[in-house]
Amino acid sequence: MVETEDYRISFFRPTTHRARLNRNLTVKLFIAWAVAIFGFQILLRIIEKPVPEEGLISFSAAWEKIETGAAEITDYQAAARPIVQVLGKSSLKDSEYEALKDALGWIVAQLMPDDELNELQKEVIHLNLLRNQITSLKDDGYIKSKEVVGLKAGSALGLENGSLLALLLPLGLDNDMAHVSPENKMKVSGILSTYMIHNRSFLTDTILLGFPFHYFYTAVFLLIFFIGLCWFYCYRTDRVHARLNFTEQTT
Amino acid sequence: MKRIYLLLLLFLPAALYAASDVTQLEGGFKVGPAIILILILSLFILVGIVFRAKDTTDYYAAGRKISRVGSGMAIASNWMSAASFLGMAALMYDVGYHGLAYVVGWTGGYVLLLILMAGQIRRYGKYTAADFIGDRYYSSSLRTIGAVIAIVISIAYAVGQFGGIGLMFKWVLGINYLPAVLIGGSVVLAYTLISGMLGVTKNMQIQYIIIISSFIIPLFILTARFDYFWLIPPIGYGSVVQDIVEGIQISEKSGLFNSLGHHFAIVPSPEYAMPWDPSTGQTFFQWIAIAFSLMIGTAGLPHVIQRFYVVPKVSDARWSVVWGLFFICLLYWSAPAYSAFGKLLSANPEVGKLAKDAIVVYTAQLGDVHPLIVGLLAAGGVSAAFSTVSGLLVAGSSAFAHDIYVKVINPVATPNLQLRVARVSTVMMAIIITILALFDLALIAQLVAIAFSMAGCTIFPLFLLGIWWSGSNRAGAKAGLITGSIVTLISLTYLIGAKAGWNLPWYGFVSYYLGAWYFAWIGAPLAILANIIISKLTRETPVEIRQFLIEKVHS
Repeated sequence: MVETEDYRISFFRPTTHRARLNRNLTVKLFIAWAVAIFGFQILLRIIEKPVPEEGLISFSAAWEKIETGAAEITDYQAAARPIVQVLGKSSLKDSEYEALKDALGWIVAQLMPDDELNELQKEVIHLNLLRNQITSLKDDGYIKSKEVVGLKAGSALGLENGSLLALLLPLGLDNDMAHVSPENKMKVSGILSTYMIHNRSFLTDTILLGFPFHYFYTAVFLLIFFIGLCWFYCYRTDRVHARLNFTEQTT
Repeated sequence: MKRIYLLLLLFLPAALYAASDVTQLEGGFKVGPAIILILILSLFILVGIVFRAKDTTDYYAAGRKISRVGSGMAIASNWMSAASFLGMAALMYDVGYHGLAYVVGWTGGYVLLLILMAGQIRRYGKYTAADFIGDRYYSSSLRTIGAVIAIVISIAYAVGQFGGIGLMFKWVLGINYLPAVLIGGSVVLAYTLISGMLGVTKNMQIQYIIIISSFIIPLFILTARFDYFWLIPPIGYGSVVQDIVEGIQISEKSGLFNSLGHHFAIVPSPEYAMPWDPSTGQTFFQWIAIAFSLMIGTAGLPHVIQRFYVVPKVSDARWSVVWGLFFICLLYWSAPAYSAFGKLLSANPEVGKLAKDAIVVYTAQLGDVHPLIVGLLAAGGVSAAFSTVSGLLVAGSSAFAHDIYVKVINPVATPNLQLRVARVSTVMMAIIITILALFDLALIAQLVAIAFSMAGCTIFPLFLLGIWWSGSNRAGAKAGLITGSIVTLISLTYLIGAKAGWNLPWYGFVSYYLGAWYFAWIGAPLAILANIIISKLTRETPVEIRQFLIEKVHS
């Protein structure tokens, strides 16, 4: 079988017919493997576009008016909703969470007369105090306090009672709603942009078996493909060995 | 029985801790999960005693009697550590789609391993990576270095496992992380010393069945409970991902709650599934670098390569990879489902920040899965870590006792002395690993990824060139090792420096392009290049090595 006597071998210069067949098979499978993994991700990168969520578009327009002092009630409400939405994202960092809470409280304060605000503020302080004292999230007093805060602040923001945003709202108010620090106010726009602009394309927006297509491809299909490649390699190698009447030796 | 009592005694102090607090997912000491954990560990020891290895060949190579499917299960069990069981879901919970780079990296590497190495390694016929390196590169110093690298990789790999064991013991016993790591570390050390030389391969098959069952059963329950396609959870959770992207309003899934009473609802969170989303702070380059580094690391890990010696024939070594990968994929298809359900069930800010590495268990708890099944899940996580740590400790201590102590320090050591040295080195390794685990340097999967990058920079180039190019010689191997080691040292220096608050030059550039979880993307190619250049410039590989390669490995 050995066609050389100097015993020099390399992957690219096989010395036997069987080794050549193995090299060719290996190269083909390697290319398929590389294209399937890296080719797809590169394609995803090439065709993707940063797409803002709808809430961010309405926020940007409203926030601009708020900063220039030309905002109306609807602008405050339009700015507050995306903030509540981002406050509901569990991936938010602590400093970002605090900045958004600071800004949200301030927006709610702009929408309420002083007496109502004072009342709401007392209830928020009570709620935040309770949160540190309760031993169960199902505590009646705590749930009641959340409902009261949610109802008052939610109606100021025009949120539908019982909606997800209305339920999240009481958790996003701090103990000093009348004021917002200039640093936090400046951060809000950046935080929302970070969390509400996403890389999307038809590959991310197409649905397959319930999955976004790119997610299915990477999390499910690629693994099946890897098993298939391995199976094919073993099958073809066994076939080649049988055809060449070749028995592998072991040491 | 004394050994079982020993394990029971180790759990007793935990009973002193307070009862569970209903707002905390951690809670106090959990009797049911603790009993399940003890039973499972006892089962492993029992199986080990029944299938005890008769000699070193039996231990290392299981008498070369293992079937393809059996070997595949052993490969999967050996592979599925805390990083697979706990760490992958944690990463995806944290950084969404970016975490899939780990799923792809830890499975795609098996294709490389198969088409480039499996059969050839089996034909070469050496038991350990150090043996191969010493023999192929005709150098006892390289054998020693290979053994040292194997030990370092084993330690790096095991640090993440100890972190996982600590987290699960923390959960089961209801104590803090530090004592949990100490207790968990002690238990795994006792387990390894008791079962280290027992029927490893048979045990691995049983461990696989327990690990995969404990992982998949809660997923059936979660998908069924929350109205998703439950017959095949790894497909059914696709709709969960899409629901996270689009958001779920309360009215859409009314009547469904998590165990804390929160509605099964979430605001639209496309950042979870969209590629390299800005909010994750991860980039396209990092995705590619991680996947690539993990893949070549897979093909360079000593304890993975070693599994090919247990099958009777070379073709069995190849087919065992197919089966091994299939069994591994059963878990890897399922892990993202935990992160998706975890994201949804912990969406309410009241749940607070959860320890990401325990998200698998928290998800089951939040999904109101029966406590005993959650206990089984936690026990599965501990089993996954134990099986891997046990193998790593045995491999590391064997490398020290066999490849360093006997070959270098004391060539006339008696078998009894060798065994004592192996035991002492096992204890020393466990102490080092425990101390490193206490620093809580990173997520489990990231810590394990360091070991993969190390293997990718050092062992992978030696195996790849050693098998496929007879021109690679001793000098080239040394040059490649030095290059790979330098890249490794730079990366780890910047990782440790960042934790210690050192002011290092070009920090941003180096920590990004030589990130600790993926430095092999450049380290491995550089090591291969150095190996080739120096090999070309120095004396050729001896003819007997070339002859062995061509006649035994490639013919």
